[in-house]
Amino acid sequence: MRKACRELIHYLDVTVHMFKMAVMTVIEYPSNIAGWLISNPLQFIMGFAIIKFVVESFGEINGWNYGQLAFLYGLSVISHALSMIFFVQGWFMGYYVMEGDFDRYLTRPLGVMYQFFFTNINIVGITDLIPGVLVFIYGCVKSGVTVNLLFIVQIIVTLIGATLIRGGIYILLGSTSFHTRSAVDFGQYTQEIMDKTTMYPMSMYPESMQFILTYLIPIGWISFYPAASFLGINSRYAGMMIPFITLAAGVLVMLAAGAYFSMGLRKYESAGN
Amino acid sequence: MIDVQNLCKDYVMRRKEPGLRGAIRGLVRPEHKKIHAVSDLSFHIDDGEIVGFIGPNGAGKSTTIKMMSGILTPTKGCVLIDGRDISKHRKEVVRNIGVVFGQRSQLNWDLRLGESFELLKHIYQIDQSDYDRTIDDLDSILGIREIIDKPVRQMSLGQRMKGDLVASMLHSPGILFLDEPTIGLDVSAKYALRKFIKEINRTRRTTVILTTHDLGDIQELCERLIIINHGVMMEDGRLSEIVDRIAPYKTLVVEYYDESAPEHDRCEMTEHSGNVAKYRFIKNEVTAAEIIADLSRIKTIKDVSIEEAGIDDIIKIAYGQSG
Repeated sequence: MRKACRELIHYLDVTVHMFKMAVMTVIEYPSNIAGWLISNPLQFIMGFAIIKFVVESFGEINGWNYGQLAFLYGLSVISHALSMIFFVQGWFMGYYVMEGDFDRYLTRPLGVMYQFFFTNINIVGITDLIPGVLVFIYGCVKSGVTVNLLFIVQIIVTLIGATLIRGGIYILLGSTSFHTRSAVDFGQYTQEIMDKTTMYPMSMYPESMQFILTYLIPIGWISFYPAASFLGINSRYAGMMIPFITLAAGVLVMLAAGAYFSMGLRKYESAGN
Repeated sequence: MIDVQNLCKDYVMRRKEPGLRGAIRGLVRPEHKKIHAVSDLSFHIDDGEIVGFIGPNGAGKSTTIKMMSGILTPTKGCVLIDGRDISKHRKEVVRNIGVVFGQRSQLNWDLRLGESFELLKHIYQIDQSDYDRTIDDLDSILGIREIIDKPVRQMSLGQRMKGDLVASMLHSPGILFLDEPTIGLDVSAKYALRKFIKEINRTRRTTVILTTHDLGDIQELCERLIIINHGVMMEDGRLSEIVDRIAPYKTLVVEYYDESAPEHDRCEMTEHSGNVAKYRFIKNEVTAAEIIADLSRIKTIKDVSIEEAGIDDIIKIAYGQSG
């Protein structure tokens, strides 16, 4: 127990330091920040503008009105931004495998997966967080949910779970490159699928697809079920427990991803000199 | 203390056939071929040794070093460092090793050199006092303080190598692995690196294991050589012993006053051009003095010199043995 605590403190200490270094690295190239600050939020504000247009033309999407859609959209973008900060490297894992960049992590006395993600913390992901939070707050106001302590705790639990689900999926996809030994950038496809299934009500898709997104690839728990439950919209699952199911799903996906990653790492071949 | 036991590493390669037809056949019915990068290596390295791994490109040196430093998982066999298997207890065992790859830096490209050291201080949980002492110590050998505030991206290759060496020694490991550390370095940077290796080996008793293609590195640093080719150990021993065993000859160069040169029955004339003749003889069979005495009785000698078998000869012979 004492040993586990000491180890946790060690990891936290290293994480704080890596965060500092990531911030220093961003500051080193100030002109990049300006670019990200403009392009990233714009991307999501535009996305939301399209939803606004659709809703104003048709009244609602699948029983979800404008405010409720903003709530769903915001929730989805926030967890997307969090996953971009911590886990975006999963998209590019193939390149790291091919270049032999895991050599360094393997010769240091810390977990390899931890080092892979945390030595490459993507502070710039915060620029995605801004539109996410703005649209979410807007959605909260428009849809009239009661914001109290319980709600905030539930939202935090949901976001942790949702980030873990997303991150786990990136890791699962990225780890395939240990076996295929090729660098495929899964990022774009992953994000397309994630966007389409988490930013809009999942109930608009066919039953069979909803089944897959609920039980096989638990993307539905990222934003759809939690939002439906918070807003009191009729869906298959609702209630106080939903955020914790999201968290459990996140932990499960992460565990599976970790196991698959470790399996891949044993097949790691480094890169020739 | 390092114990390498029956170490093997196989790679599975897919056989590629030429053309589109071949590509499709490879897709439908792939043929796998096993490549033995390293087969059945066993050796023992004591604390405080400096061991050079040499062998031609693709011989399996890097694969061996990567298995020894925990990067690759062996197909068979094991690497025990102080009695513990590195592939089973990676996190504990790597605390006591440092690794430098000549072609890959562990320093943060964007930030000043000192930031990379700070991060390592946190990763290896080094006390501030130990950290300061180590930096002072290494500064006296490498002059690292001059460049500690410079961003790594602005450094020369030689400066970056100094940074990497310090980075790998910050946690005072007992074993240091260097994979082709002198590659691309200029003469003075090479000199600094060799001085560094000798110093840490002398003052800290650090075990050093390096791969290199540089004959100067071998001559100046390595008390012991392990020669690998095609993943198999060819030689393991002291440099002087290997030289005596696989190249036990010297060459006597004699200059005469004219172009005719006499033969000698106890050595072989390997070259004869102009006034100069070269005689190769086995060291234990006959001495240079005897040959000179015999030859000078037949003909007047103007000048003599003796060539020892160089390391490059040894390496050529050792590499050649396996075809």
